[in-house]
Amino acid sequence: MSSIIDAYTTSGTERETALPVEELIRQLDDAGIARAVVAPEDREIAVHNRAGNERIARLAADAPGSPGGTGAPGNAGRLIPACTVNPWFGAEGVKELSRAVHAGARMLVLAPALQGFYLGDEIANPLYEAAKEMLLPVYVHTGPHGPAAPTQLALVAMQFPRTRFIMGHCGSTDHAHDMPAALKLKLPNLWFELSLVRPFAIHHWGKIAGDERLIFGTSAPRNLPRHELQHADLSWPIAKNSGTYGRNIEALLAEVRP
Amino acid sequence: MNVFDCHTHWAPCFQNRDGRNPAAWIELIRSAGVSHAVILPFTGLIHDGKVGQDNDDLAAVCAHPAAEGRMIPFCTAQISVPDEGLAEIRRALGTLKMRGIKFHPWLQGLSPGWAAMDDVCDLAEEFDVPILFHDGTPPFSLPAQMALLAKRHPRVQIILGHTGLFEHWREAIAAVNLTPNLWPCLCSPHVAALKEIVRRCDPQRLLWGSDHGFTLDNFYPYRRGLMELIGLDDKQREAMYDVNPRRLLKM
Ligand SMILES: [Zn+2]
Repeated sequence: MSSIIDAYTTSGTERETALPVEELIRQLDDAGIARAVVAPEDREIAVHNRAGNERIARLAADAPGSPGGTGAPGNAGRLIPACTVNPWFGAEGVKELSRAVHAGARMLVLAPALQGFYLGDEIANPLYEAAKEMLLPVYVHTGPHGPAAPTQLALVAMQFPRTRFIMGHCGSTDHAHDMPAALKLKLPNLWFELSLVRPFAIHHWGKIAGDERLIFGTSAPRNLPRHELQHADLSWPIAKNSGTYGRNIEALLAEVRP
Repeated sequence: MNVFDCHTHWAPCFQNRDGRNPAAWIELIRSAGVSHAVILPFTGLIHDGKVGQDNDDLAAVCAHPAAEGRMIPFCTAQISVPDEGLAEIRRALGTLKMRGIKFHPWLQGLSPGWAAMDDVCDLAEEFDVPILFHDGTPPFSLPAQMALLAKRHPRVQIILGHTGLFEHWREAIAAVNLTPNLWPCLCSPHVAALKEIVRRCDPQRLLWGSDHGFTLDNFYPYRRGLMELIGLDDKQREAMYDVNPRRLLKM
């Protein structure tokens, strides 16, 4: 079995991320991906945080091959649950974050454009603080122009040097122009996730950041894992970059302490 | 069936390597199964002082015998000084016989809302050529901005070069469905968005593009592969790759 981890997938119920969990597993199998982080879908990220977090925790626990699941043994923990909290829920949201992490979530997902805030707005600070205490990686969707640029996240990462951040999508597409400068900062608490980055261009980021800072992801079902992995491999070979394709995210998830 | 790639570039990496000879460029698109390509400028989008030179180069590259008539050149211009920009477009479409106009509004610092852009549309109508915009990014490249421009000029065909990219593709679908002279070019959105665009937009206006040619990276294996994942039937394939672009480009 491979050790490849897909750091961002969704098994949603509607719109463009509608995908039954069995089909997600099938797509991972088809790609040769061992495990995947699974995140709540857009409506859950925007408004129904708790319902989404509970759905994802259940879905990961019940997935074929997981402890208590129905599938073949040997694939325990195949899906790793992420959770989300909209910063506008304030103290109540921080409570929900703590509840979700105690229930098994291993990554916090923030999507500023969906959740209605700008990176740099102090409204999200209590979540960054809470994540720091739990060593919980904070995955931020970047790309939307205005609320979620790579430079804005880099600044947040400087402001919260002990909170671990993952820059989802590396600002794809047009904020890619900001990426060399963001990568060269070499912030010890900032990692770079590759879904939605043009796979044939990953090597450009790799040359600046190195294998230890990149994290492979597909954003399935927005993309098909097999196609993404195949073309990422051509640009930034799996054989030479085990950090990118699993070790980095695995280490981050393993250190979470509820 | 022809395969028209409606979004490619001729960037300095090719100009510096091959001069005005497109033989290697053509060989690459041929190996990707592409028969024809709309060639957009690159240098002219980022260097106002080289717009004329870039239009000259592009016209010459596409007229080179090695291009075999398969490369369709679009010009650009800097219209922040309207008279100069409009004169350059007239020269490019008239003297150089270029076949369309391209703007990358945020790179060039041009808003589709400017009066000069209306003058450009009048020229496009006079020469009967389409205008392709980079889209998907504020503050100057929103699908809605192109849609309003297209509505002001219903006889000019306007192409959304990216159909909204990753964030504005739903807006692009709405814009296309409200604007009969707006054409979505499937270039850059993810698989799930591409499927939705195909499902919800007029099949007679769908185009495909790779964005190949602004670096030496080969965009084709990935981008051609994406199109195989969205479940097109033969009729949709033929419309998007061949019939629609020929109608748009009058070929
Ligand atoms: Zn382009």
